[in-house]
Amino acid sequence: MGATGRGGTPRVIAIVPAYNEQECLARTIGELVSTCPDIDYLVVNDGSSDDTPKICDELRLNHIDLPVNCGLSAAFGAGMRYALEHGYDAAVQFDSDGQHVPSYIPSMVQAMAERDADIVIASRVVAGGSAVGLRGFGAKLITLLIRLTTGQVIGDPTSGMRLYSRSMIERFSRSFDLSPEPDTIAYLIRRGAKVVEVPTVMRDRQGGTSYLRLSSSLSYMARTCLSLLLFQWFR
Amino acid sequence: MPLTLRISLVVGTLLALALVLRRISKRKIRVADAVYWVVSMLVLVLLALFPGVAILVSGWLGFLSPSNFVFVTIIALMLLKLFGLASDVSRLTDKVERLSQEIALMNGDAGEGQGRQGERS
Repeated sequence: MGATGRGGTPRVIAIVPAYNEQECLARTIGELVSTCPDIDYLVVNDGSSDDTPKICDELRLNHIDLPVNCGLSAAFGAGMRYALEHGYDAAVQFDSDGQHVPSYIPSMVQAMAERDADIVIASRVVAGGSAVGLRGFGAKLITLLIRLTTGQVIGDPTSGMRLYSRSMIERFSRSFDLSPEPDTIAYLIRRGAKVVEVPTVMRDRQGGTSYLRLSSSLSYMARTCLSLLLFQWFR
Repeated sequence: MPLTLRISLVVGTLLALALVLRRISKRKIRVADAVYWVVSMLVLVLLALFPGVAILVSGWLGFLSPSNFVFVTIIALMLLKLFGLASDVSRLTDKVERLSQEIALMNGDAGEGQGRQGERS
């Protein structure tokens, strides 16, 4: 795995947390590598109980294994620490299930450089598409709460495809209780981080099951809303 | 529902809320784990502010007084959290065991090598 500099271009790593993603992982990484050969990647196997670790070994993917399942936040945090230790300039949060289209990563990197941003969100809303139903309502509510508490409009706060600058990598590696979630984005905006959005298109997940199941989405909304309205003033 | 009970519910809840927020600012509890307590407090404050709810439900379920319903609510919230904690401890125990095994096996490779060398010489 080369963490070598390429002239003036920033060294970017895609952090791909994977929990039981045997169906999509190989295809996702294959597409990522062929579309963005300049971007390194790290699969963080989050204690998967299926064939995910086997796939990582057999295809010789650049990966680390968490010995037990720790959740998305911890898996992503491990990736951020890896990025910090290996001196990357930026890290992009990238889903292993095939939802995210890697061809948009270069435009995110470009936006980060041009607009001097700390976080670039690949946003479905800016691109004209938008989530529908209960999920869409939840996202709109989060957008409203972020606008009320920070004054900034984040069109697609629940987009899981975000590019973080070096300073954010450091922050994520060191801070207590920072998860790659919308309420953290609001918290970071209030702490002076510059967040911009670039348009993107996302696909439906290509197989397997999501971290966020329907049963847990209620507690997800409760956590996010309470965090935005109450907790972030005390953090 | 007696006014004193309602007032003490609100005061007690506000004190508890202050405690939770203090813990968050001191980084002693994660946001995700604080949510349950705030939601529980919300339930208790709503019961105190709208005693009609407690009176109504007490009638349905056959409680002798609305106060008893409030106490049962508190006990139920505690039992729910207690069971959640028991289940969390259980999962954490399993994870600690597996992590210990992982570390032992990693170190074991080195130790085993030395032992074998010792036997041969």
